Amino acid sequence: MFCYGGKILEVDLSTGEGVKRILDEKFAMKYLGGDGFGAYFMNKVVDAKQDAFSPKNAIIVAPGLLVGTAVPTAGKTAFFSKSALNNGWNESVMGGRIGFALKQAGYDVLIIKGKAEKLSYLLIRDDEVAIKSAEHLKGETTRKTAEEIKKDEGNVVVASIGIAGEKLVRFACVDCDERQAGRGGIGAVMGSKNLKAIAVEGSKDIEVAKPEKMYKLLEKYYEEMINHPSFEADGKYGTGEFLEWMNAERGTFPTRNWREGVFDERKEIDPYYWAPRYAIKNKACVQCIKPCGKAFVMKKFEGVVDGVEYETLFALGSNCGVASIEHVAKGNELCDLYGIDTISTGGVIGFVMDLYENGLLKKEDVGIEATFGNGDAMLELIEKIAKREGIGDLLAEGVKIAAEKIGGDALKYAVHVRGMEPPAYDVRGIKGMALAFMTSPRGACHLRSGAYALELTGKFWKYEGVDRFSSENKGQEIADMENFMAVYDALGVCKFSRGIFLLNFADILDAAVGKSLNEEELLKIGERICNLKHIFNIKAGWKKEDCKLPEKIHQPIPKGVSKGSFVSKEEEKKMLEDYFKARGWDKNGIPTKEKLKELEIEEFME
Amino acid sequence: MRVKAIAENCSGCMVCEIVCSMKHWNIINPKKSGIRIEKKSVTEDIPHICSHGKECNLECVDACKFDAMKVNDGVVYVDYENCVGCGACERACPLNAVWIFNKKAYKCDLCGGEPQCVKFCSQNALVVEV
Repeated sequence: MFCYGGKILEVDLSTGEGVKRILDEKFAMKYLGGDGFGAYFMNKVVDAKQDAFSPKNAIIVAPGLLVGTAVPTAGKTAFFSKSALNNGWNESVMGGRIGFALKQAGYDVLIIKGKAEKLSYLLIRDDEVAIKSAEHLKGETTRKTAEEIKKDEGNVVVASIGIAGEKLVRFACVDCDERQAGRGGIGAVMGSKNLKAIAVEGSKDIEVAKPEKMYKLLEKYYEEMINHPSFEADGKYGTGEFLEWMNAERGTFPTRNWREGVFDERKEIDPYYWAPRYAIKNKACVQCIKPCGKAFVMKKFEGVVDGVEYETLFALGSNCGVASIEHVAKGNELCDLYGIDTISTGGVIGFVMDLYENGLLKKEDVGIEATFGNGDAMLELIEKIAKREGIGDLLAEGVKIAAEKIGGDALKYAVHVRGMEPPAYDVRGIKGMALAFMTSPRGACHLRSGAYALELTGKFWKYEGVDRFSSENKGQEIADMENFMAVYDALGVCKFSRGIFLLNFADILDAAVGKSLNEEELLKIGERICNLKHIFNIKAGWKKEDCKLPEKIHQPIPKGVSKGSFVSKEEEKKMLEDYFKARGWDKNGIPTKEKLKELEIEEFME
Repeated sequence: MRVKAIAENCSGCMVCEIVCSMKHWNIINPKKSGIRIEKKSVTEDIPHICSHGKECNLECVDACKFDAMKVNDGVVYVDYENCVGCGACERACPLNAVWIFNKKAYKCDLCGGEPQCVKFCSQNALVVEV
């Protein structure tokens, strides 16, 4: 089959057994790859009622359909498992080479079940599959783990966890090539399985259906991409390029645990300031010709990091009130090395600082003066969280559980949706995104819908004149955008290319697999995937009552151009109802039989 | 002529490896590419590619006992009729720019004068040097 590895590999770490199955062509075209395969196999393989850390949970890794084709920016691989933060659906997409290597080894889906007896790594070298001891790597960083395994195994691609994953920090991430599947604690699930790393070497040919056509398309999109305005912006300043705009022009850059939407002290964390001073070169995901990553070399501290991404500039910067870029970069490096998600980490630390300043936590509780703006405290808290030391043990549970354990007024300061700490969009002034935080299958997330750009600029794709301060007509918009982005995650295409490709993949797919799918057909697959994720969540205990915004989102933004805007409880309720209606689900958010039949997935609902 | 690598500019995206294998073999396989990117660390992505004698003494040609490493008009290329994949060229190359995979040698042949890796490098990490 063109453009696929052709097999599904299932490994049980408890028994050491591996099973290989042939990928069916009809199945492949129904789900495409990446996100689609994850949505299917999470429902088929994982008992949704089990705890995330149960050996019955699985980790699923699936490269997008276009991974391996050189279609620019289509190198993404998705990781799936039950969320360590909310026990529901979780996925996290990354740009490391692991999926490319898997596909070359002949696998479109890797399913890892069970639990190894001792700390291990999984080695996949084409047809050879082995579980090897990683006890000598216990406590090592993600980076060192990869280096050591490469010394022993040669030219392998390594996806590894750090100490945080081993210690079951609920927002531990997986790192591959200094890129992370960051969100929802896939690293912790790996830790719960005693799985320190996955090492893959693939050497098989990937064939496309029409190589000459593909080559011409590569030439076309190469030209289009390097001449697109985003090429220079991403290349020079990375994903944080619009940070100043988010502050000055939109007033929606969450600051000091979502007190404000403007970070006045932002001078240093703006890439226009730091990139010329600290970034020595660009770093790309595999297959990307417009790299947004930067090799950031610190001066005051010792260290290098592939960053600092927009979300991290918020999480460890503005959300903690930290204005020093060196502190933010160092924090970024520590998070990557220990293997924790920067967004959740910054969310938790901002929460602690808020409690500290409001007298709900004292110095003896925290061990340090955890005031907003204290960069050293931020770094120390990262250490404590990653190693579960002192208060870090509580914070490693994430904002939701930590707030419930502290109790009382702490709950008012807890900023999360369904247990996940949100990314850098103050949704009080971006109401469609407020809905997207509620409806994302993994909790507060900007990527499942990617609707922030549409909301903030007012137009994208088929939408025009969208008003970010209005809560009208958001249900259909967010459902459409979720379907759109599910296609991107199934194909493995980076969302930063959405303005270039839109859903015009018919020619590319014809060249890749020999079947052209138009926008309508792709959107149906996207809708199918979104419904499957939701079905998994329902089986895992999802309730519409859990889809609610943090208390802070109901309070007005105090200053800046979005001053006064907030999402009322009525708007929250109405937008969610609109969304259910747009989805063809009932009032309680349960997909109807007709909808599932229409999407040909009725077999999944009990 | 040769393709000169400027490692400081390389972002490590591997597009050069992919298009090289597509152009030469109509498939995708970085192991059959004539250029390889060593992703060494956050600050180091190092392209390895043949200098066609500019930075070496054609050690691969001397090392080959099967008349498979040939030179034509300044271009060093593999004659696949003769290559048995013994690995002598790989061992002899001082630049780490020839590789054996499945009993065949792979290296840059300059694509008939229009190197595709250079064409697809968006970071100016690969340039043609005449």
